[in-house]
Amino acid sequence: MVPNLLLTFTGIVVVVSPAALLMMLGLTTLFRYKLSEVAISRFAQTCSITGLVSSLCILSFMLVSGVRDVPLEFGNWVSLHHLSDSSGFESESPESPKQSHGDADSHVHQAGEFHLRMKFVFDRLSIPFAVMSFVLCGVIGSFAVKYLHLEPGYNRFFLFFSIFQLGMIWSSLAGTIETLFFSWELVGLSSALLVAYYHDRPSPVQNGLRVWAVYRIADAAFLVAALSLHHLSGSGDFTVMMGEGDWPFGKVVITEQQALLVGLLLLVAAAGKSALVPFSGWLPRAMEGPTPSSAVFYGALSVHLGAFLLLRVSPLLEASAILSGCVVALGLVTMIFATMATRVQSDVKSALSYASLIQVSIIVVEIGLGLRYIPLIHIIGHACIRTLQLVRAPSLLKDYSSLENAIGDHLPPAPSIWQRWFAPSTRERFYRFAWERGYMDSILDDFVVQPFVHIFRCANRIELHCERLLEGRSHSSAVAKKERRKP
Amino acid sequence: MNTIPLSAVDKDDHQPATGTKSLIHRLAALLPSQGPITAFAFQNPLQGLEDQSFVDVLRQVEHIYGCEPFLQEGVYRKKFIDGRITVNDLSEIVAEDLKPAGDYRIAGLIYCSELRLSMLTHSINPGTENELRWELGGIEAIRRFRDDLSHRDRENLVDSTKRWVTSDFQGKASDRAFGLTAEELFATVQKSISRVHLGKPNALPESSWETICLSLLWKISRLRMKSTPRYRGKSVVYLRPRDLLLAAVKADSDELVHPVLGRFCSAYLDQGYAHWQLPGRDQGFFNAFLSLFSAGGHFTSRWLRPLGKEVKRIQQAGMTAIESLEESLLCLGIRPQDKEAFLTRSLLALRGWAGMVWQTETRPDRVYVPSAEGSLIDYLAVRLLLDRFAIAWIANDLLGYRESLTQLSSFLTAHFPGERMGESVEHRAYPILQLAQLHGWTPVQLAELSNANWAELIREVESFSQFERRRVFHLAMERRLAHQALDAIAARASLPHSKPDLPRMQVFTCIDAREESFRRHIEEVAPDVETFGNAGFFNVPMYFRGAGEAHFTALCPIVVKPKNWVVEDVVLSLIDSDRQRANARRWVGTATHQFNTGTRGSVSGAVLTAVLGPLFTAPLVGRIIFPRLTARMHRTARGLMATPPVTRLRLERPDGTPAGPDDEGIGFTLTEMIAMGERALRDTGLTSNFARLVIILGHGSNCLNNPHESAYHCGACSGAPGAANARALAAILNDRRVRTQLLARGIAIPDETHFIGGLHNTATESIRYFDLELLPTSHVRDIKAAMEIFSRVAERNAHERCRRFETASIHFTPMEALKHVEDRAEDLAQTRPEYGNSTNAMCFVGRRSRVRGLFLDRRSFLMSYDASQDTQDVAILARILAAVIPVCEGINMLYTLSSIDNSGWGSGTKLPHNITSLLGVMDGAASDLRTGLPWQGVDIHEPVRLLFVVEATASALLKIIDENPTIARICRNEWAQLAVLDPHSNRIQRLCGGVFIDYEPLTAELTQTPSSVDWYRGRSDHLGFANVVEEKP
Repeated sequence: MVPNLLLTFTGIVVVVSPAALLMMLGLTTLFRYKLSEVAISRFAQTCSITGLVSSLCILSFMLVSGVRDVPLEFGNWVSLHHLSDSSGFESESPESPKQSHGDADSHVHQAGEFHLRMKFVFDRLSIPFAVMSFVLCGVIGSFAVKYLHLEPGYNRFFLFFSIFQLGMIWSSLAGTIETLFFSWELVGLSSALLVAYYHDRPSPVQNGLRVWAVYRIADAAFLVAALSLHHLSGSGDFTVMMGEGDWPFGKVVITEQQALLVGLLLLVAAAGKSALVPFSGWLPRAMEGPTPSSAVFYGALSVHLGAFLLLRVSPLLEASAILSGCVVALGLVTMIFATMATRVQSDVKSALSYASLIQVSIIVVEIGLGLRYIPLIHIIGHACIRTLQLVRAPSLLKDYSSLENAIGDHLPPAPSIWQRWFAPSTRERFYRFAWERGYMDSILDDFVVQPFVHIFRCANRIELHCERLLEGRSHSSAVAKKERRKP
Repeated sequence: MNTIPLSAVDKDDHQPATGTKSLIHRLAALLPSQGPITAFAFQNPLQGLEDQSFVDVLRQVEHIYGCEPFLQEGVYRKKFIDGRITVNDLSEIVAEDLKPAGDYRIAGLIYCSELRLSMLTHSINPGTENELRWELGGIEAIRRFRDDLSHRDRENLVDSTKRWVTSDFQGKASDRAFGLTAEELFATVQKSISRVHLGKPNALPESSWETICLSLLWKISRLRMKSTPRYRGKSVVYLRPRDLLLAAVKADSDELVHPVLGRFCSAYLDQGYAHWQLPGRDQGFFNAFLSLFSAGGHFTSRWLRPLGKEVKRIQQAGMTAIESLEESLLCLGIRPQDKEAFLTRSLLALRGWAGMVWQTETRPDRVYVPSAEGSLIDYLAVRLLLDRFAIAWIANDLLGYRESLTQLSSFLTAHFPGERMGESVEHRAYPILQLAQLHGWTPVQLAELSNANWAELIREVESFSQFERRRVFHLAMERRLAHQALDAIAARASLPHSKPDLPRMQVFTCIDAREESFRRHIEEVAPDVETFGNAGFFNVPMYFRGAGEAHFTALCPIVVKPKNWVVEDVVLSLIDSDRQRANARRWVGTATHQFNTGTRGSVSGAVLTAVLGPLFTAPLVGRIIFPRLTARMHRTARGLMATPPVTRLRLERPDGTPAGPDDEGIGFTLTEMIAMGERALRDTGLTSNFARLVIILGHGSNCLNNPHESAYHCGACSGAPGAANARALAAILNDRRVRTQLLARGIAIPDETHFIGGLHNTATESIRYFDLELLPTSHVRDIKAAMEIFSRVAERNAHERCRRFETASIHFTPMEALKHVEDRAEDLAQTRPEYGNSTNAMCFVGRRSRVRGLFLDRRSFLMSYDASQDTQDVAILARILAAVIPVCEGINMLYTLSSIDNSGWGSGTKLPHNITSLLGVMDGAASDLRTGLPWQGVDIHEPVRLLFVVEATASALLKIIDENPTIARICRNEWAQLAVLDPHSNRIQRLCGGVFIDYEPLTAELTQTPSSVDWYRGRSDHLGFANVVEEKP
């Protein structure tokens, strides 16, 4: 009993510590109390360290005791029953961690009802991911403490940073699809805000908006997937819908077709978050924020979240071979594209962002091929290495010169089949394709943005027309003016 | 107005192609002159316009570059409140501007000078239109008097209003108020009082009268302003069709063009970062662009899709860049008279990249992959081609305009006439409301002004524009600092020379402002040490390659092209160890490079990241959380493979062999060495009284994670450490043959004098000495004593520097301060490893003994020069100033402009910087190439033009100015301030309007302080001058 209580307590600390940071920074900002740089950095470091130590405790407990799954319930926050008339907040006290899934069955709700259930789970997938998030967020937090010294937006940066960290930790630990969706949104929101961190220049804001727009598409797919899962399996709880067995040995309770449908939707969500084809355009654009944010968010953590989602719902992949095939195909296409794109980038941050994309797509391929632990290790290794590279990106020139001094000449070009195998005209075409970043932005513009713009413009015209009809006369100048306002 | 007068250039060459070509090459002078960021050159960003006067150029920069000419008015006003700008200086400058017109009484209300002064000292101008609207939304502006109004002024205003409204006005207003009708006035009064006491004016409380008074003033000002024409209205000139389109439909074609063009420039200029090179790069910028855009591209952005066809047409027609450019000019409908202005704006629209194209074209010696001749014209041709398609696309998309682009401007002018926003009446009337309060102009006075008088008042107010106000503020700020500096120098110069009779040691440093405190602390710690300043390349210009380095680096100012090559060799006895270590380095280097490339690849990346990735947590955490420990481990590891510690410079080549980078050509001839040795000594005036030890210190800086690292190195060595120059000079002066020759020329260096070269690290304050193994044993004791002095100086200098760092505690002991600055240099996250030459404000050229002990707060360049040893025709001073004035002025103007408008002239904040093409930095994902200094390097800089104080006669200076066109440009056009200090007295003369006039010190007093630390302790702002005089026990 005591170990259980301790475990619950430690688990709560893990979940609460990033939230506490957000509360602290958010409330002081809300009430316009200006925290000093030192205070902000102390809070950030304390929360990261507390969270990290607690999650390491849980990890060691799990290793020692052999328990592979520790859920942490925060109860249903909203519960709408189909037949009964009770609705609204149903205050359920957090339940003690359950060793078996027998209890979990009591939470299987009938299909057709709706509930929003907060639940976190510590298992072989979430713990490593959470530990990695804490380590990287903590390290990058300490980096940013000095890097952003005297920056006017210091507080704002750390506020977004705390939202991001909260989103990352909660997504890693999410035990229900609604919890995952909620934290996923926090990550998306903070990412877009951090891309647009320099809001005094137009391009960060435009790129931030672009990131946000792509995330919206992905999130819409995620939401539909979450609702359908609820509908199909009666619960958003991963343990329920993935059936018996700890991760990664779950078995889904839905049919193959259903798995394919839900899986494809989730694949779209993952593709948006992980910048897979055709959403790759936003990744280099996200390099607008201060170096630490681009490092941790796009190089290391955020971009892996899509792969993490696929890992989390991996039993779905096992249920449908077609789905697995799609995942592998998408990964391969992205890998080929990113390999080409990274080769033509002449600035360090874009090159590194496409290099990240290569690895993410390989991880996706691995997941599609049915591997589970290898992608997890790959994510962790890649995140660490890429963070270090991105953080060191500003010293590229120094590194180059010391390498050149060591080698004694200009750095040799990478050995490439490019020059030898392809005719110049082919090379030109490939180069153009890679240089234009696979035309992905313009394709999205054409097939997604343009239709919307057309609809809006059409609506605008109709509105103006109605206005004119109502007023009974024509305002040519007003019309012209209003039309111009619509871009 | 819309052409830039670039004098000294004939404008009558009208053959289109050659004319355009030479025009573009002429305009290229306006581009940023910064080359690759690894060899940071400090040059005036406005160098191309130096042949006009400073103020005239700044008047145009907003128009030409879109950058701010001065700090914002609010910043100056804050400095005024803080006392860094005084009202005396302001009124003096106003008086100088106005001359006799200052005593003219405008409209019988106020003296012209008084008006200007009150517009400066009080915040009376609204910000933007939106800010004003916001302020007027708040009730207080029109209901309560200004806070800074005296009680008497308030009473006056209220009384007169009361009188006017209650008696005067009710009966007679109609025939006395010129500007407006009685009804209007009456309505205003009614409106103000109706809320409280309609019809019973006598019973109104005092506060209501305040409101009535203000409402009347406001109403009258606005009403009268409506019919007053604006003084020289801001006519916006649309020079590019893009500007017109932007104003008309708020869509910017540059937002389409710049990402594409910037990315293409980056690919074209890439020095080897990308794995795949731009195909067809060797065919030039224009052709590479054409071939890239002729292939594929069916899914490219919509506006670019028609480009492919046009590109094919150009290719088939075999057009050259200049032909295409001329065609684009025709297509865009640019009239011949607008051509120059149009091309200027087009060139400067993305000036970072354009400047880099020009730099790689004109200085191929500075880059690995240069650009072909004509690249800038190619660039402009491509730019105009893209402009055409972007403009056509926007015009079509938003306006449905499908006609030829030549007619676009007339179409836009016809359809959007009202888009040229003028200033609102409120915006113009607001200052009058404020001035009326400040000067007690009553509503009746304003109402009764004749139209001519009113117009005169407005003209005076509006002609003293925002630019003029900022200019006066700026000049006043400079004047105060100059006065303080000159007073301090005059006071110090009146004291006896201070110079050790028998110096124990002599130290040469760079003229760099950072070395000022270093030298001061040396002199404080060891009063029997003499110090000298010289340009940090010590007049030994060379291409240098150190042991274990791959390439030659130019170690001399950017304007000099070295003629000699020097290499560093490991001594013969260590050659085996050197070879082994070089092999080890090569092996590790290759492996590291393979690894770095590998992690960016696909399959190799997967293997490496998955297998080795988790191990990288260790360096990641170590580097960031324990920077000092990690740096030490790195040093130890590197030490195992570093070149052996004993090396020699290969300095000499036989007479008669040509110099070159190959083995035979390395080094200087003996004649060259003698000349350089003599020059170094004569320039600084050290020709006798040599100490046993003379230490020559170059300087450099080291820091991590910083693309602008080169900007912290020695400016006189093109942003490289000046170690090799110092070392070479020491070796030259130790050479017996050189000494014999010098003796013949009158410089007797005693046998017991030994020269040692060294490197002062301005970030960590450490000093590295070279060739110590050549030191005679008799001097070992001396060098040990010297090292002891330098280690104490390091702590003290670090302590003084720490006062500027916000993260350093003011309670640091010198030792803690030293540790703090060392930490900064090793920290991956540190964006301010040091402050470089930030806060530089003056340059003293003269004998150290005249200013020794003067606390100059690291704000002064210090060049040694002894007028008494100069020739009759001041040849020494002439050659010193030929280098010192342009170099220091360049450094100062870059700092000054970068801090005035950091996002315009500087490169903005470092945080989102992204190294591109291995040449420079962009902001974030894609932007123009950012030139100039980052915000983190200039945030404590006070922008003032450099004040040169030269210890020489006025006639000598005038002669030099007349003979050297560069100096003449800088001094006569006031890009720097110039003063001379008489070598025999403390008389100071300043250059004003081309002649030297006597400067009368405001005070002869100079604060004395027992030591530097007593003067700066606990202060982090700019400090005044003081004389450090050791208290005699």
